[in-house]
Amino acid sequence: MGITRTPTSLTQSSATRGGIGESTLRPDGTLKVTGEFAYSSDLWHEDMLWGYTLRSTVAHAAIVSIDTSEALATSGVYAVLTYDDLPTEVKHYGLEIRDTPVLAHGKVRHHGEPVALVAADHPETARRAAAKIRVEYDALPVITDEASATAPDAVLVHEGRDDHHIGHVPHPNIVHRQPIVRGDADRAAERADVVVSGEYVFGMQDQAFLGPESGLAVPAEDGGVDLYVATQWLHSDLRQIAPVLGLPERKVRMTLSGVGGAFGGREDLSMQIHGCLLALRTGKPVKIVYNRFESFFGHVHRHPARLWYEHGATRNGKLTHVRCRIVLDGGAYASASPAVVGNAASLSIGPYVVEDVDIEALALYTNNPPCGAMRGFGAVQACFAYEAQMDKVAAELGMDPVEFRQVNAMEQGTVMPTGQTVDSPAPVAELLRRVKSRPLPPERQWETTEGADVRALPGGLSNTTHGEGVVRGVGYAVGIKNVGFSEGFDDYSTARVRMQVINGEPVATVHTAMAEVGQGGVTVHAQIARSELGVTQVTIQPADTQVGSAGSTSASRQTYMTGGAVKNTCEAVREKVLDLGRRRFGSYHPAWATAELLLEGGKVVTDGGEALADIADVLEDDVVDLELEFRHRPTQAFDLRTGQGNGHVQYSFAAHRAVVEVDTELGLVKVVELACAQDVGKALNPLSVVGQIQGGTTQGLGVAVMEEIVVDPKTALVRNPSFTDYLIPTILDTPTIPVDVLELADEHAPYGLRGIGEAPTLSSTPAVLAAIRQATGLELNRTPVRPEHLTGS
Amino acid sequence: MKPFAYRRADDVAAAVALLSQDRHAVFLGGGTNLVDHLRLGVATPDTLVDVSRLPLDRIEELPGGGLRVGATVRNSDLAADPLVRQRYPVLSQALLSGASGQLRNAATTAGNLLQRTRCVYFQDVTTACNKRDPGSGCSALGGYQRYHAILGASPECTATHPSDMAVAMAALDAVVQVVGPDGERAVPIGDFHRLPGDRPHHDTVLGHGDLVTAVDLPPLPETVRSRYRKVRDRASYAFALVSVAAALDVRDGVVADVRIALGGVAHKPWRASLAEQELRGAPATEDSFRRAAEAELAAAQPVDGNAFKVPLARNTLVATLRELTGGTPR
Amino acid sequence: MRVTFTVNGRPQEADDVWEGESLLYVLRERMGLPGSKNACEQGECGSCTVRLDGVPVCSCLVAAGQVQGRRVDTVEGLAGEDGELSAIQQAFVDAGAVQCGFCTPGLLVAADELLEHNPSPSDGDIREALSGNLCRCTGYEKILDAVRLAAARTGQGV
Repeated sequence: MGITRTPTSLTQSSATRGGIGESTLRPDGTLKVTGEFAYSSDLWHEDMLWGYTLRSTVAHAAIVSIDTSEALATSGVYAVLTYDDLPTEVKHYGLEIRDTPVLAHGKVRHHGEPVALVAADHPETARRAAAKIRVEYDALPVITDEASATAPDAVLVHEGRDDHHIGHVPHPNIVHRQPIVRGDADRAAERADVVVSGEYVFGMQDQAFLGPESGLAVPAEDGGVDLYVATQWLHSDLRQIAPVLGLPERKVRMTLSGVGGAFGGREDLSMQIHGCLLALRTGKPVKIVYNRFESFFGHVHRHPARLWYEHGATRNGKLTHVRCRIVLDGGAYASASPAVVGNAASLSIGPYVVEDVDIEALALYTNNPPCGAMRGFGAVQACFAYEAQMDKVAAELGMDPVEFRQVNAMEQGTVMPTGQTVDSPAPVAELLRRVKSRPLPPERQWETTEGADVRALPGGLSNTTHGEGVVRGVGYAVGIKNVGFSEGFDDYSTARVRMQVINGEPVATVHTAMAEVGQGGVTVHAQIARSELGVTQVTIQPADTQVGSAGSTSASRQTYMTGGAVKNTCEAVREKVLDLGRRRFGSYHPAWATAELLLEGGKVVTDGGEALADIADVLEDDVVDLELEFRHRPTQAFDLRTGQGNGHVQYSFAAHRAVVEVDTELGLVKVVELACAQDVGKALNPLSVVGQIQGGTTQGLGVAVMEEIVVDPKTALVRNPSFTDYLIPTILDTPTIPVDVLELADEHAPYGLRGIGEAPTLSSTPAVLAAIRQATGLELNRTPVRPEHLTGS
Repeated sequence: MKPFAYRRADDVAAAVALLSQDRHAVFLGGGTNLVDHLRLGVATPDTLVDVSRLPLDRIEELPGGGLRVGATVRNSDLAADPLVRQRYPVLSQALLSGASGQLRNAATTAGNLLQRTRCVYFQDVTTACNKRDPGSGCSALGGYQRYHAILGASPECTATHPSDMAVAMAALDAVVQVVGPDGERAVPIGDFHRLPGDRPHHDTVLGHGDLVTAVDLPPLPETVRSRYRKVRDRASYAFALVSVAAALDVRDGVVADVRIALGGVAHKPWRASLAEQELRGAPATEDSFRRAAEAELAAAQPVDGNAFKVPLARNTLVATLRELTGGTPR
Repeated sequence: MRVTFTVNGRPQEADDVWEGESLLYVLRERMGLPGSKNACEQGECGSCTVRLDGVPVCSCLVAAGQVQGRRVDTVEGLAGEDGELSAIQQAFVDAGAVQCGFCTPGLLVAADELLEHNPSPSDGDIREALSGNLCRCTGYEKILDAVRLAAARTGQGV
């Protein structure tokens, strides 16, 4: 039908057993190294048009008028759409609160908000036409921080809110607020021998995934639309897209295209609805690909935060109490802000035992860029602050910072500030011990026989110091992250598994809607199918909405949840296969009735290892095909006044030790080593586990020393939406990252595994900061640390 | 992007003639700066005249020990040239500290000299910018100025020059060879780039149709050591916050000759003549270096957000001079 | 305009190319070679790296007309005619250097060129050679492993 570069099934035969616990290779690896893998920006359709989005050039303004006539008259332009062209009464979308207009209506609330859409026969024609759309704005005052948001006369970012948070927030410019009160912090403070407080600022981080937002919408003969797109959660997209289009969900068929990284930035919609609207309006396939500038505006970022903390401790090093206040800037639309608040509040004191706490976290509505999901959300910002506090208290007490942490470390059985008991291993002290006991990297590694190797020095290729004036520092941090969706959300995933004989060999086909964003879910699904079904050949079907929801590839949940769903369905398929076997061969051998039976190496075997039949003979022409849902243990909402409740499913822990070398004269930092120890419960694929930990660690390093989206506080305009001005670490900035993996099973989880993706992003940043503080003696209460913070001005 | 025509020039005369015929034509070299600006809408020519294949890709020895660097010599080839590495390490180092390998493989000598500022407002066509759109105003004033000038700025423009190579060339007293509609001329590098004044849209003294054909590097005495240092936000692939190109000749502990240029601090590569003046004849000591740096930076007028550049430039200059007096070979 | 050049050893021709199109666009949208990636289109990430007359460049910053008559090598040309992966491709798969894979084609082209002129690079050499290619997933450690692995295998004549 003239469409190319659409996703294909991934079939992989494993030479080894290829089951769980092995470092099997990615089934999509070969396609990715040959350039054949079809990313969403690679899609192509005969006759397709290119869509382009006109975005606001101001942060907060009333729209006086929009004139599209000149754009429409441009040769090669097929459609120009504004808010007035939206086909139904549903004109907003949102993950939890539907507060985001599909196209701006009446006003724009942030820089880069979509105002109009163009479809044309060449991407450049679409861009030029968009430039001809005249939008007249009437400026409104910008809300950029807590003071301006909550001033008595503050302009409301959203008037007439009717979402379920409005009833409990102190101001309509606050999206959600979550206090947690447990024990009596005032009373406990009286027992404290030392009290340390501090204020911390966490900058706005971008996910900076490399694959730009993109997709292809193809109008279908039944009046529906087929959408190929890079996303983190197909069904959540679908639920938001279909009502805007006025189509039943079955007529919006979504297929996951190759995803070039996500890290939370694809949890919200970007071009999905826009592409479908243009396709349905023009009757032609429409492809939209953001450039990097648009990408910075096209997805939410990590919430910047201001955090105030007070910690008290007794002379013997026991924490008495923690008081904290975390203010997150949610920007113009809610996105995932409520969940971010919940995480920040419930994980605000870190993996420590503190009986008496007084905690408040809230997210603001402002005219800054919308913020939402990014790897470790809520917990990342808190970890940066509480770990700085832990170092400060330790210093005040004259204690070793690691020992101080170990004295207060939580463990299995600890009660969280929310009142929830941690009911699986929490090896916080052990993780710290492991990173600390690792030998330090040798000093002066830059020295070679031919002089200093600048690549190993602060400044790198900039050829700055040759070793003079370089001071080493070592810092530690540990963090806690929840896994899966919390606070009473009905979190489930679906897997369909089919087993049949093809060319004489039993083959398992796994079909889920899990978004493979690079994390390696497809690898693990094949491993699970092999382990559970005893096959070597597994086919992973493209993820789409023809199967039930897999939930989001976020919150470190996907191996737990969709991995769990695949396991669960495989087990049911196995039972069906065994039933078939019993029917066909049960009379030939008593073990069919009496023994525990497994599928292994293509055979039905007893737990004693005796082979009873070939799976191929059991199946013959039968096909076993099941689709089942899998749920984790239910959770509870946090009480809105006290924050009490069993809100989380599982926790994930990682610790880091950072070794830095600082050129104090020029303010340059070289991170020499960033060692991590993490408990993963069970490493289903050790190679992928280490890759996830190294990647997450590096994102934490980035925010420590270079990454920040700069928003002008006077205008709320984004000032660095490019990879020239928003810097992420290069291979020269990134150190060796040795990883120590613990496997302490969580008995509540499939295979005992623990979600791993986010935890390493937490402790990496504060460990680097602690190391720089140790090297320089400076206080450094904000991220990122830049040369000016080290050299002074 | 505005529609435009593409022409390839076969020789220098044809290139100059093509531009002379079309007021809205521009030369295209390696493309690493211009192609980006075309896409951003920062550059809106009618015609691109591709000069990247002109036979100007050689590095030749000049009588007396200097070098003539052809305009289309790629940055990576210039950095790797054995004579450049031997005679002008500061230039090789400056080139290698710029951009990435891929960009240096494409970027040309002339194109690098003519690189336009990385001011975020200049790059963003939705904002006012006197350099991009004369008379529209300067959004950087009162805005985000971390990367902006501390020396020689004007109320019209506080942008900085982005090149590393040009800073080294400024310290080396290079001479830019130009062919224009009125013939050939040689422009000392110090006069080549401009301060913004009230005409910030002119980065250089070149007129329309002027084509850079080569850069001449005068000989450096054997006893001069030279070095380039750059301070930036990551270990590679980023523009300078500040940089220093310095060449130093110390005899019997006294500064016999010195040339210093600063990058990242002004609208042009900033020749630090006040510092040089302070240093000539002075003992080659940390104290002298510091005094020299302070002499140069006394005129600095930092703005909100870039005051750090003053101590950073001072420290970088002192560290560079200190290193040049140390034991490491040139 | 018409642009003619050699891609992975084969003469190619594109018609009706608009002057403002980049080499990257022509490869991806006109020649059916989407392997070179479009992560930033500003020369700031290296994902579009191809070899132009043997030298790695960012294809997003090369104007289409500039390629006339020249030789371009892309990630699609790394594997053998029979589809057998080259040493560096196989090493990326084996070492776990591929996650989302969007940076992979550019890195492969850059690493391939590195190993061509420096068959046994030090870690510093690898870091320097690949410092123009951004990766957001891996933390680079396994990319280093992959280049070391390819160098070792090639050195052993594997």
